[in-house]
Amino acid sequence: MSRNLTEILRAEEPQSPPTALDVLKDAVADHGELTDDDRRRAARLSGLPEAAVYGISSFYDDLLAPRGRRHVSVCTGTACWAADFGEHVGAVQDALGLSLGERSADHGISLGQTVCLGFCHTGAALREGDLVDAGPDVVRRVAAGSCREAPEPQGTSMLDEPVLLREGDWSGLRSALERDPAELLAAVKDANLRGRGGAGFPAGLKWEFAGRAEGDEKVIVVNADEGDPGSYIDKHLMERSPELLLEGMALAGYAVGASRGFVFVRSEYPRSMPILFEAAERARDAGNLGADIGGSGFDFDVEVKEGAGSYVVGEETALLNSLMGLRGTVTARPPFPAERGWHGKPTVVNNVETLCNVPFIAANGAEAYAALSPGATSGTKLVCLNERFASPGMHEVSFGTPIEVICNTIGGGLVDGHEIKALQIGGPLGGILPGTRLETPFDFDELAAEGCMVGHGSIVAFDERTDIRALATHLLEFGAHESCGKCFPCRIGLQRGLEMVRQDGPVDRARLEELLETLELGSLCAHGGGMPAPIRSLIAHFPDELGVA
Amino acid sequence: MAPEQPAAAQLEVFIDGEAVQVPKGSTVLEAARQAGSYVPTLCFDDRLEQFGACRVCMVGVEGGGPPIAACTTPCVEGMRIDTTDATARRVASNTVELVLSELPRPPAPHTELAGVARFFELGEPRWRGARHEPDEDQRHPYLVLQHEMCISCGRCIRACDEVQGAFALTATGRGFSANVTAGLDSGFRDSTCVSCGACADTCPTDAITEHLLLDLTSEIATNGEEGEGSR
Repeated sequence: MSRNLTEILRAEEPQSPPTALDVLKDAVADHGELTDDDRRRAARLSGLPEAAVYGISSFYDDLLAPRGRRHVSVCTGTACWAADFGEHVGAVQDALGLSLGERSADHGISLGQTVCLGFCHTGAALREGDLVDAGPDVVRRVAAGSCREAPEPQGTSMLDEPVLLREGDWSGLRSALERDPAELLAAVKDANLRGRGGAGFPAGLKWEFAGRAEGDEKVIVVNADEGDPGSYIDKHLMERSPELLLEGMALAGYAVGASRGFVFVRSEYPRSMPILFEAAERARDAGNLGADIGGSGFDFDVEVKEGAGSYVVGEETALLNSLMGLRGTVTARPPFPAERGWHGKPTVVNNVETLCNVPFIAANGAEAYAALSPGATSGTKLVCLNERFASPGMHEVSFGTPIEVICNTIGGGLVDGHEIKALQIGGPLGGILPGTRLETPFDFDELAAEGCMVGHGSIVAFDERTDIRALATHLLEFGAHESCGKCFPCRIGLQRGLEMVRQDGPVDRARLEELLETLELGSLCAHGGGMPAPIRSLIAHFPDELGVA
Repeated sequence: MAPEQPAAAQLEVFIDGEAVQVPKGSTVLEAARQAGSYVPTLCFDDRLEQFGACRVCMVGVEGGGPPIAACTTPCVEGMRIDTTDATARRVASNTVELVLSELPRPPAPHTELAGVARFFELGEPRWRGARHEPDEDQRHPYLVLQHEMCISCGRCIRACDEVQGAFALTATGRGFSANVTAGLDSGFRDSTCVSCGACADTCPTDAITEHLLLDLTSEIATNGEEGEGSR
């Protein structure tokens, strides 16, 4: 996709849906696979060139594998891997007699893979249609055609008054609307609210950049493409506290001067979209969204859009490309989205959890928000634990809580007397903390000192049975599969890294480290730049088991 | 640092110690070229919008931070750039070696990629893994697309969109399988291609070239003649 094409799209007021991606997704839903007629139709309806539409159709997982009348996806995410080391992936292929990406001859059934369905608390997860099943015997149930809905995780707050694990009540917005938008912006800046999607960028600064940027129309985009395997925090917030998110969006809109917002939800979360639709409808009926909210003169409304299967689309420039219906590849910054984002308009891209913090700040002020945390970082953080823990689920903690407390006091240690060999914190781009360093406080700087990160807040435990070389292979398979293919280090380097650990012999340590440096310093975005972190941790803490020499 | 205040629309930056005045909005690559410092590139073509994909134009910035891509980084007043920074050069060189490792055969000596590989003194790549499978599209009377030589630099696509306005080409796939194709993967003739050859002209590997030129190329290769690899 050339920048020129993107610019043409940006220049054209895109009020008339659908995007090419919407048309292609509908075609797959309708008849299971794409034909050239579908691509021509998508080109005609979206106004994109046919070649560009072909490029889009070859990018997204959801458009690639042909679908049968029944379509089953098996989760190949890291939490499911930690549960049974990938046994379920082989078992479902055997049970259905299909390999991944294959459809039966009579088109009755097809099998695909998906990286993380967000049921990391239950163990191996599979999806059929919009139903997600998980846990023991899931493969048998899928094979028998008797899937049942998997249980949702429990959420508990360690705070007296939860900031995040609560229903939105719109009191923050009501309070903000009585004052000048500049006061809200100042409060969010003073609260030092850092982004919860991985990078930790101060949300208030992002808002300020977008607010100051040239352009009358500004846009709020929620990054709800929580692709990090092992993380189900945003899923939980969207499905349990949808109005808290919508309130956070409206507040962002008020502070920045935007009247339009989008929630970009990943397609791997089939329950999230309908819940958000309903919540938005309720909010409109109650006068919390729409025109002239609360008689304040402030207009704000939201649209919910669904992704099509790509991890890198969680990167903000790729996400905006995908939201415009293009290939979800990364664009070099500057310009930053705050300056030129969705169709060229100044755009704030915030993660779900980030925005869910805003109603508290709006209602209670920056000081109260800072006081929530004994750690260096203000506010609270949701962490989620995988199925290996005795009490897996979602927990709201203060920054600075020792990881040992999260794992053993809150999470109850591991099931069946298993021991923590290592933890991957914050997603696939996060470093790996060995079980011997659990005293580390959960906060940005302390984790960074261990080569780890807060990231998305997921904590995936690997127990003592875990083969470190197999773990490295699992991580790099994910990395190589999800590379968007734009920048050269990531496109080729992750493939080479995978080949290095997948072969049987020892891994040339010097060569691996050279490759990791190239990925880390050379890559265009955090995908190629971040994938070295967990591999470096494995080199540092488990060199013999990794087989580096 | 700057002793004299430059004119409002100008910035002063230092390239390898030499002060240069550049218009505001200039990239580090533009400043380096103005200073006469060579920065290798692969996905860059000054007729096209910068793309930032190849990461071969990495340079060092004084202050100890990580290297930056010169083609997409705007100049900042007083910035000090080291185009020969050892880390930047190592990353760029390793990246070019990765690129060579995905091709089933070395690029022809006259191509831009071959020139950049010579600049980094790269021989046979150390990587032995997967390579692109030979896949040659000869459906057009004289434009040929050798998919296996494509390095996904996006220059052909941008040339088609930005120079010719034909929009006949697209990037395809993702990750290691990323490539380029015309129309609905239907060949140049069944696309909106106008056979202008802008794609072949900009291609740094001859993945898109002309049949007749292909023949000449093999002759040049056998004669061992080398072109100037860099622009």
